[in-house]
Amino acid sequence: MTQPMGTTNPATANPAATISPQPSPQSPAVRLQIPRRLFSTLEGVFHEEVFFLILSVFIGIFSGLAVVCFRLAIDWMHLALLGPLPQTHSWRLFAVPALAGLVVAALVLHAFPTIRGSGVNQTKAALYIFNGFIPFRTAVGKFICAALAIGSGQSLGPEDPSLQIGASIASALGRQLKISREKLRLMAPVGAAAGLAAAFNAPISAVLFVIEEVIGRWSAGILGSVVLSAVSSVVIVRWFLGSEPLFRIPVTTFKRPTELIAYAVLGIVGGLASVAFAKSIGYLRPRLKALPRWTQYFQPALAGLLVGLIAFLGAPQIMGAGYDSMDQAMHGQYAWKVLAFLAVLKIIASTVSFVSGTPGGMFAPTLFIGAMLGGAVGDIERIFFPQLTGSTGTYVLVGMGVLFAGFLRVPMTSVFMVLEVSGNYEIVVPVIVANTFSYLISRSLQNIPIFDLLTRQDGLILPSLEEDREEAILRVEDAMLPVPTTILSAQDYVDANARRVHDSPDSTFLVRLHPSGWNVITRDQLQRLFQEGKGELTLGSVLPPQSLPSLYPDLPLDSALRYVNDYPLVPVVNRANFHQLEGVISRDSVFKKYESPERVSS
Amino acid sequence: MQWSLPKLVPRSAPVILLVLTLAAAVSFAAVSHLVARFTANQQARGRKLYVVGLADANAAHFDDAIAAFRAALTCDPTNSQYQLSLARALRDSNDPRRLDEAESYLIALWQRAPQDAAVNLALARVAAHRGSIEDATRYYHNAMYGVWNADPDSNRNKSRIELIQFLLKEHAPDKAESELLALATALPPDPAAHLQAAQLFTQAQDYRGALAQYEDALRVEPSNAAALAGAGQAAYRSGNYAAAQRYLQAAVNANPQDANSLQLLATADLILRTNPFHSHISDAERNRRIATAFEQAEKRLTGCAQQTDVNLSLASSSSTLSSLQSRWSAAKPSLARLRSPAETDLPDSIMDVVFQIEQQTVAPCGQPQGLDLALLLISQKREAASQ
Repeated sequence: MTQPMGTTNPATANPAATISPQPSPQSPAVRLQIPRRLFSTLEGVFHEEVFFLILSVFIGIFSGLAVVCFRLAIDWMHLALLGPLPQTHSWRLFAVPALAGLVVAALVLHAFPTIRGSGVNQTKAALYIFNGFIPFRTAVGKFICAALAIGSGQSLGPEDPSLQIGASIASALGRQLKISREKLRLMAPVGAAAGLAAAFNAPISAVLFVIEEVIGRWSAGILGSVVLSAVSSVVIVRWFLGSEPLFRIPVTTFKRPTELIAYAVLGIVGGLASVAFAKSIGYLRPRLKALPRWTQYFQPALAGLLVGLIAFLGAPQIMGAGYDSMDQAMHGQYAWKVLAFLAVLKIIASTVSFVSGTPGGMFAPTLFIGAMLGGAVGDIERIFFPQLTGSTGTYVLVGMGVLFAGFLRVPMTSVFMVLEVSGNYEIVVPVIVANTFSYLISRSLQNIPIFDLLTRQDGLILPSLEEDREEAILRVEDAMLPVPTTILSAQDYVDANARRVHDSPDSTFLVRLHPSGWNVITRDQLQRLFQEGKGELTLGSVLPPQSLPSLYPDLPLDSALRYVNDYPLVPVVNRANFHQLEGVISRDSVFKKYESPERVSS
Repeated sequence: MQWSLPKLVPRSAPVILLVLTLAAAVSFAAVSHLVARFTANQQARGRKLYVVGLADANAAHFDDAIAAFRAALTCDPTNSQYQLSLARALRDSNDPRRLDEAESYLIALWQRAPQDAAVNLALARVAAHRGSIEDATRYYHNAMYGVWNADPDSNRNKSRIELIQFLLKEHAPDKAESELLALATALPPDPAAHLQAAQLFTQAQDYRGALAQYEDALRVEPSNAAALAGAGQAAYRSGNYAAAQRYLQAAVNANPQDANSLQLLATADLILRTNPFHSHISDAERNRRIATAFEQAEKRLTGCAQQTDVNLSLASSSSTLSSLQSRWSAAKPSLARLRSPAETDLPDSIMDVVFQIEQQTVAPCGQPQGLDLALLLISQKREAASQ
């Protein structure tokens, strides 16, 4: 148990050395040696990369099991607190979430203070700030409090807590196994993918979300682990809870390209709704947090009371995650006025639930609002344009993606989420069109994405893929100097080259090598060679046998930095024809570009 | 925060994986136990709600039934029976907006078990609600050839009967006819089943098929009054008046209060007594019947003319009745030549005049009674036979 992974025990490294004299195959010595040999062979196989991949599968299994229990806990709470058949105008509707809010607040403030806020951001913070550390207590607290809150009807979803439970389990496992710091940092996203995949029953969307929002970059090293954990957790969830999708998908159709205009309108409306939702959270959350600490005991209860009152007055659909209501909306059970009303009420309910510090996620509310809005917009459009062929279910599905793209600002995940949930690729074009409009409107009206806004409100600054995407990158071509007028040839004699540079204003010259490659020489070096009597030798024969590194115009300028200190000039060549010189890079040209005003502004 | 992690895992990887595997297995077993208990509780709760839902559905309280079935499904989301019942309640609630959801549930069930006859039947009824003949026929056929949990033969026949009724309602008699022929071959020796089939044949205006079904019912239960009356009516409608007389007489004997059978029996008797084309009568009797029919036609024409205020004596009148009167008058002298063996076509030409009068007076003067009705029916039968 004390052998470091990746190293071998000298005693077992060469099993043959330990077998002396040769025993018979049936002897007790051989029976002992066989497991040892197997053991040492296995140990040689499990270097850290492979070990990490296998560990990802276990993370997926444990996260999947935890999410199964979490979902059961929410269902059990819901049945125990609200009953299987909640009736409108029942006192339970507002009493239960309010009382549960008091309990949740006490638990959050005294037992689990780390569970406030978004699980996505906490996972991201673990990756970038805390070396992959998420206390296991967070998983326990999130499990209990989120199950109580969502089960009692608070307008929040189980996906974000599932994500954090997965991340927390992965982090705890990594710490327990004392894996390297570099790998430990990646444990949290791997667990997050497993948790989210299990919650959504959608591995592709979970992988994309974690890559797009948590990790923020595509990396082959992490991708395998994230995929393995997501898939294994989904297998576990399907084993226990069945492979039923979150919704029963109706027949979805997209027949005429002109109908894309209708979906674009949905994208615009969805983008505006996303901005309203994000701004209301961004405005209220810091103000409620700034209130005296004692008020935090009552904030979840008041939020629960408000949500319960909305339900009591006739809209119980907004309670909890609301998947059943989304399902019904998808099958045309609500008129457009009801759909629009539910969307507005859900924005209010989810905003107050979330900003009150009640543990729970925003994924399900986002889908709910999008679904209702999509259905309402679709129905209204069909009133004015009866020739539109898209069913209410189609608009509801597209609406989900629209809010996902606009509110969570994950355009790629939003598209794949709709496709994965619906299993229908016929609506891919409407989804892309609507999501693009929603995303662009949201980005133009709300500069900071909601997750970044929340982290900044918590005093953290975490990298954002959206910012990275939009950051102007300086490239080699931006700092490139024109092709020098005097280029020397390694096949010419030194004296001929010396004559050529005589009238040149430059002090450093590129030398074209034969058959390919470049070198560099200064005017002084060339003069010295001439004075040393080497004028009748070719320049190539007297130069040190080296070839300069070449750069390409499209490379990031950062890549030039490693060469400009070593060489006075670095050639920039064409990718299609490396003999063709496009320009040169020098240390001064690079630094001047970094200091230029447009660089500062970008 | 204190962090001093070593670069490598300070333990043996195989051992770690072994421990993790054991931990996963134990966790798996624990969660299995938990899920099983939870599921059992939920299923028990779901069953209670389902019973409530069924009671509501049976009482046609579909909104309550839908709510109860939905709640039962939240307890046991994959229960096919609950889904099927919810779909049926949604379908039967007479809210067109709910048909989509009903269909969605049923399609999901169908994808899981396309051979399930109950699901196919429910889908067929949704399609029938929508008036889609093609879809309904397809799903009804799936139901007929699908797997039934109990009493498959009876359920298959019921499904086919439902399809036939739907096709008749949608005015697709040809399709209904082919289904009826298939139904006829699969019926059990049960008078009630044959009677139902016979009624469907009657609705499809296939009176011969109906008669065959009534006769099948009578073979099992010879004194079945409904079958006797039905057979008599079917035979009457198909022009088989001898059989009609026989069955109707038996029906009247069995149920003397059966006014419809009495009336039909009287007409059938009259037809059999006055039909000059009957094969087993002598020439003299044929001539007598022709003469009687010819006189009756004149009475019908005169009565109709009075009823419609047409003056048959005006030679200039160009009405149909006047034209018929002219033809009748022209044919009258030929009555005397009926006895001549050389005049083989004469009975037909005289009766043609009679038939034209009986047929063409229906429009201005309505359906005739008594002997006129008998002559009209003989004419129709004769026409049908010539076609």
